[in-house]
Amino acid sequence: MALLQTDRVWKKFGGVTAVQDIALSIEKGEILGMIGPNGSGKTSFINLLSGIYRPDKGRITFAGEDITELPAHLITRKGIARTFQNLRVFPNISVLDNLLIGRHCRVNTSLANIYLNPFLSRKREREAEERVVELLDWVHLGDRKKELAKNLPYGEQRLLEICRALASEPLLLLLDEPCAGMNPVEMDTLAAFLRNLRERGTTLFIIEHNMRFIMSIAERIVVLDAGAKFREGTPGQIQKDKEVQRIYLGEEEET
Amino acid sequence: MALGIKKGRLLAFAGILVGALALPFAVRDPYVIGIVNFIVTYSILCLGLNLILGYTGLLSLGHAAFYGIGAYTTAILMTRHGFSFVPALILSGVLALFFGFLLGLPTRKVRGDYYCLLTIAFGEIFRLVTQAWIGFTGGAMGIVGIPIPEVLGWKIQTEIDFYFLGLALLGFTYGTLSLLTRSKFGRAFVAIREDELAASVMGINTPMYKILTFSIGSLYAGLAGSYLAVYQTTVTPSNFRLEESCLMIIMVIVGGMGSLAATFLGVTVMAVAIEFFRPLPEYRLLIIGMIMILVLLFRPQGLLGASAFKD
Repeated sequence: MALLQTDRVWKKFGGVTAVQDIALSIEKGEILGMIGPNGSGKTSFINLLSGIYRPDKGRITFAGEDITELPAHLITRKGIARTFQNLRVFPNISVLDNLLIGRHCRVNTSLANIYLNPFLSRKREREAEERVVELLDWVHLGDRKKELAKNLPYGEQRLLEICRALASEPLLLLLDEPCAGMNPVEMDTLAAFLRNLRERGTTLFIIEHNMRFIMSIAERIVVLDAGAKFREGTPGQIQKDKEVQRIYLGEEEET
Repeated sequence: MALGIKKGRLLAFAGILVGALALPFAVRDPYVIGIVNFIVTYSILCLGLNLILGYTGLLSLGHAAFYGIGAYTTAILMTRHGFSFVPALILSGVLALFFGFLLGLPTRKVRGDYYCLLTIAFGEIFRLVTQAWIGFTGGAMGIVGIPIPEVLGWKIQTEIDFYFLGLALLGFTYGTLSLLTRSKFGRAFVAIREDELAASVMGINTPMYKILTFSIGSLYAGLAGSYLAVYQTTVTPSNFRLEESCLMIIMVIVGGMGSLAATFLGVTVMAVAIEFFRPLPEYRLLIIGMIMILVLLFRPQGLLGASAFKD
């Protein structure tokens, strides 16, 4: 069974149809890529999946549950985490606190516990900290944990944002242009990291403009055009597709 | 937000505690103790406001109204209904919390500057109601003759007695708030300040947390108001003007937003400055404003604040 399934979802903003009639499924354990020209609705689609927008029509099911009407914070709790196209780490706080915030929904303390049972809530905090430090060590950011997020170099901030999403232990990770602004070396590191993540059981959905990156990492690719699903196939099929080239590069001039 | 209390901090904390307890015996001048009591009251207020403004990033210009709600609750309960101080204090806090909750509700829909206008309106409505509803609040004359408070048989009468009462409330405020801000709740507030959209995607129920920060921050203002009522023995609308709300905001900003310990410094600096320039009443506001501008120019994160709002 598919991990996530969208059933003919629509989203309109005034007269503009940002997402129309998209039906797709993300299988458990795969890396699904999404490409499409600027303004084709990729980010809107990810916003629908993560609960920032609510679809006008259609249904979204995740792990067999209908999540169409759920607000963003509950969707995260169900196991979908995401990153943003234009980096959105919390700049003025430490790397460690960024990750602890990412883990928010997995820290099991109530307001009453903080006062009535401070030792228990302290213990929960310590457990959370251990888990995120493990995560930081894994990506070699362990020695930077006290640093303010804004003081990290750009590539590491990108990595931090992915880790912050991972801190909520998602089943499905949505990445919106993860290698925007990265150099080829950083991209290769990222690709290796994401493959590693998949080996550990996280399903990935990646929007990306960089063809070399997405073709090398994704097992299936969905092409969007003008808010609608245009093609779906393996990277090989998509690369050969003349129509896909046409929407990306425009019509050839007849001479 | 360092997690875990280190040894050095523990020692410093013990030192401050001993110093605070010894202070009235070292300084016997009731005038100085009076200023210290003002600092204590405003510290309670500003710690609560720092939760709202410094941690969660909501600009509230109505904090004096919650202070007033606490003060009037205690004044009315103690003068007319025969309540003793402790139950009146608790009810003052609860009522301020309730109104904080109500004023927190619109944060779900109203954002930023508009929300700030709403809090100004709330503060002004409160002040106008206290002025106009003479039967209930005594109008501009206020409520006088609030009885001497008694806590577990201890009659609180002198400046020094009030200092210790205030210190106990301040200790409660600081203790509970520092437990809160060091937990996942404190981090959630900061996340909302830093980037509300990202916070919601981190699994934080942002509307709920904004209402929560408002309710909790207002609770302490209610306690401070209750303290003011028994300390002054009178309550008048002029204690709770927009000017007081602004002063609290300036204190929080001067000390440092998002840091509880910094609040004490901000309050102390401003209180001393106000006292120092008391002979020049017509220049007082000018000087307060200048201090704030100087701090914002040269130390935008506040005197002790960790993080500034601009990059």
